[in-house]
Amino acid sequence: MKDSLPVQARIGLRAGRRARARDKAPPGEPRAIGYLYLLPALLVYGAFVLLPLGHSVLLSFYEWDGITEGTWIGLSNYQDLITDSQTRAAFLHALILILFYSILPVAIGLLLAALISRTDLRGLTWFRTILFLPQVVPLVVVAVIWSYIYAPGTGPLNEGLRAVGLDGLTRSWLGDFSWALPSVGLVGTWVQYGLCMVLFIAGVQKIPTSLYDAARVDGAGPGHEFLAVTLPNLRNEIAVALTLTIIASLRNFDLVYLTTKGGPGNATSVPAFEVYNQAFEVGQVGFASAIGVVLALIIFAITGVVNRIAEARE
Amino acid sequence: MTGRIDRAVNYALLVGFSFVALYPIGGIVLAALQRPGELSGFSIPRDLHFSNFAEAWTQGHFATYLKSSLIVSVSVVVVATLLSLLAGFAFGTMKFPGHRLLFYVFLLGLMVPLEGIVIPLYYDLRALSLTDTYWALILPQIGLSLAFGTFWMRAFFMSTPRSLIEAAEIDGARNWSILWRVLVPFARPAILTMMVLIFMWTWNEFLLALVMVSSENLRTAPLGLAFFQGQHSSEATLLAAGAIIVSLPVVVTYVLLQRHFIRGMLSGAVKG
Amino acid sequence: MSTGRLSRRSLSALAAVALTLVACGSVTPGSSDDGGAEQPQSSSTALPKEDVTLTVWDQEVRGGQNAQIEQLNKEFMDEYPNVTIKRVAKSFTDINKTLKLAASDDNPPDVVQANQGRVVMGQLVTGGLLRPLDDYAEAYGWAERYSPTLLELNSFSADGDQFGTGNLYGLSQVGEIVGVYYNKEKLAELDLAIPETFDEFVDALEAAKQAGEIPIQFGNLDKWPGIHEFQAVQNEFAPKDYLRQFVFGLGDVSFATDQNTEAASVMQQWVDSGYFTPGFNGVKYDDASAAFTKDEGVFLITGTWQAPLFEDAMGKDVGFFLMPPAQSGDDPVALGGEGLPFAITTGSDQPEAAAAYIDFITNEHAAQVITETGGLPAPKGAPSVPSGTVLGDIFTAWDQLNATDAIVPYIDYATPTFYDTITASVQELMADEVDPEGFVDTVNQDYMDFMESR
Repeated sequence: MKDSLPVQARIGLRAGRRARARDKAPPGEPRAIGYLYLLPALLVYGAFVLLPLGHSVLLSFYEWDGITEGTWIGLSNYQDLITDSQTRAAFLHALILILFYSILPVAIGLLLAALISRTDLRGLTWFRTILFLPQVVPLVVVAVIWSYIYAPGTGPLNEGLRAVGLDGLTRSWLGDFSWALPSVGLVGTWVQYGLCMVLFIAGVQKIPTSLYDAARVDGAGPGHEFLAVTLPNLRNEIAVALTLTIIASLRNFDLVYLTTKGGPGNATSVPAFEVYNQAFEVGQVGFASAIGVVLALIIFAITGVVNRIAEARE
Repeated sequence: MTGRIDRAVNYALLVGFSFVALYPIGGIVLAALQRPGELSGFSIPRDLHFSNFAEAWTQGHFATYLKSSLIVSVSVVVVATLLSLLAGFAFGTMKFPGHRLLFYVFLLGLMVPLEGIVIPLYYDLRALSLTDTYWALILPQIGLSLAFGTFWMRAFFMSTPRSLIEAAEIDGARNWSILWRVLVPFARPAILTMMVLIFMWTWNEFLLALVMVSSENLRTAPLGLAFFQGQHSSEATLLAAGAIIVSLPVVVTYVLLQRHFIRGMLSGAVKG
Repeated sequence: MSTGRLSRRSLSALAAVALTLVACGSVTPGSSDDGGAEQPQSSSTALPKEDVTLTVWDQEVRGGQNAQIEQLNKEFMDEYPNVTIKRVAKSFTDINKTLKLAASDDNPPDVVQANQGRVVMGQLVTGGLLRPLDDYAEAYGWAERYSPTLLELNSFSADGDQFGTGNLYGLSQVGEIVGVYYNKEKLAELDLAIPETFDEFVDALEAAKQAGEIPIQFGNLDKWPGIHEFQAVQNEFAPKDYLRQFVFGLGDVSFATDQNTEAASVMQQWVDSGYFTPGFNGVKYDDASAAFTKDEGVFLITGTWQAPLFEDAMGKDVGFFLMPPAQSGDDPVALGGEGLPFAITTGSDQPEAAAAYIDFITNEHAAQVITETGGLPAPKGAPSVPSGTVLGDIFTAWDQLNATDAIVPYIDYATPTFYDTITASVQELMADEVDPEGFVDTVNQDYMDFMESR
């Protein structure tokens, strides 16, 4: 049997041959040694992720300025969260941004997956490298780049519009009350669509040709082909894409902080920014914690729903 | 045959979308080479002003920031990889009571946003006098990376052929040897993928640095760029140069190892 | 892998973990280690002899400001070789956003530039994070150096409740006035003189507009420049005593007055008449200033901190005048005060060195350096400056305002959340997103909420 093992394994075994034989429980029986291997990771993870999470929940029941003593106020912060129009607006903006960060890129990716026929694609590696690049660049850099692109006077976007004679369409993108949020959203679309494309192209290439042939035999047109064959078989990829992009859209502190700081007015306020602003500037740590907790819960909920739907048909 | 047309359409689409992805980045590279003060739109510079980079480097103290980012990223990658290997090994090859529940506990970390825990992290670390130190940046990011790392290595080890492990056991190897002498060499590509992803996420982290770091020489590159932008907000060529300096390490790593980056993202779906 | 089911299990796992942790109950918020302000041990003006490192956070990042602080730092270190200054420079917005975190750290910076008013300084004082400087003020004689108004602006009661009275917490290097920079050439082309009444100013704006110029160069992406534009107009309608009461939180005043509504109305009219840079809400402050130096715009309403930039770029072609009074012959009133004060944190273990540093950067010699780099020194008895230059205009205006006690403080000082409220509201007002009454009501709500909670 050893002859069928890969080279690395064989070398490893030879090196470990001097190990003493020890009694092993038959495979399948619980091995308590597992806890020991798990312990370091569990400790660090518990201390720096779980503990703070619980602490967040606890803090959300207090009114605290971060410096002096805090006071217990129960669910008051959550009440304020729901009744305060500005906080509600921030969450509304987050939902709108999901459209740009998630739905739109997924749609673009699916479009490409539908249009691309699965013939031999040469040079796919190069395309993938480029399409994925926006994901790799730090968001701070993305913010710097797009702040410049959106600049009203000398920014490339307005310059480009002027160059093709569309002067009337130029505007102060990040300063316009109606356009600031979509402008921020489009940056998110730019960052995320490559990821979706790469995911879906890879997924499409795994679909057996036989399924497409069968559909064609049944007289299906391209539209029907897409709905009946491509889409169902991309379910997992779509679920992953939605999950990753939705989390990204709710976590967009960097972009808002560096471009609009929630402005103009409160047009681009988002929960992620409010967490920072309320805790460390306004001095409402309890309220900020409540926002953070709700943000986390929303992510849990959406992830759960997305994955439930993805499995529903299985 | 439609094959040719198909092929042409495919390439046209791919080229088009790739261009859109690349254009802003290419544009900022060109902007960084323009004469300072004359920047307008995205255009090919008349002459190349590499001096912008030199000036951004010195004025922006980017040497310090890059060093800081490197220290943090490398520490997080090394420790998180190590601990993920151990934990993944446990989850992937052993059955012990509560292993399901414990795994779900780790899985939760994939969904926890930093915004949900940064506030208590700040106050707890401050109580331990660890704010404004490298620890404040390294430890939480190890924690967050462990969610992904454990999930990743568990999945890989679970899909490793059972025969590999059994052969080693029959041969008398202990768990430790099995892990390091048999599984890890076998898992090298997967481990590399995990490492590059953790490196990228750690390098790009901004909010944590903004909250934890006050001293200038602890600033990570993204944080340094953010303040640099505040100070030189109307010197576009300088900003462009700074932006490139900050993204260069992670982009270069990406280009060299892009196979692993992308495979990492794809495998999440494939496994499912 | 069915992540859907897993999320639900994960949630229950989390609940179990969280409850356990909460049950441990060791994590209630509250300060066990901040003992409030430490009592000053000594207030000598002698510097310690051993090696000392002073960490200074400042926001002197603009050209002239940067030059003066760098020079003064160097001279200070030359004079006291045992002292090293570690300078951390950030923009105004960045320093305001990160100062509280830094000051409450275990090892805070020694000297910080903390914006006056309730938003920054007030909260720091309430949290016991700033050291009262009255003992050093007496030892160094700072009361003679500044006019009373300037000292009041940097004062708070020890609990941070009263603004404008109580302990002194910081000293400012520069005075500030918000006024109107003008492009001399363009004004001449339009055949206009410096307006002497508010109506004349509005006429000038209209004339500029008709001639195809940008009347007021303006960029409000950074949010705070809007405060200055608004208050410049507000001063034409609301009396200075009322404004001072409002900002300091004295008496029973409200923001919902007819005068404020009228001021807001005028602001909107100006926007609708196209008197500001097109698309100003998306233009950065620095970009607007840069455009002004490139001869775009006739007027620019901002503070004296920009003078070095304008003088460098435009030389004799730029001048400065105060917003003219509503009635001819009246004394003009201007928004202003002083630059961000330099304060000492309670956590600093080098208060003597810090105090000596603060004294050094605000003394007569420092005033000279500041003048040379195009700044307006706050202390009395500033050196003279050649007239006919923009700096000369500024110095004249400063003397005049001080003589007539006609400086009105910045309104964002008024409550801890006022900066956020007023900046967002002004952006909305100037984008026609809200009408003047709505604007006044929103702003007033913030003020009333705070006053009630005191």
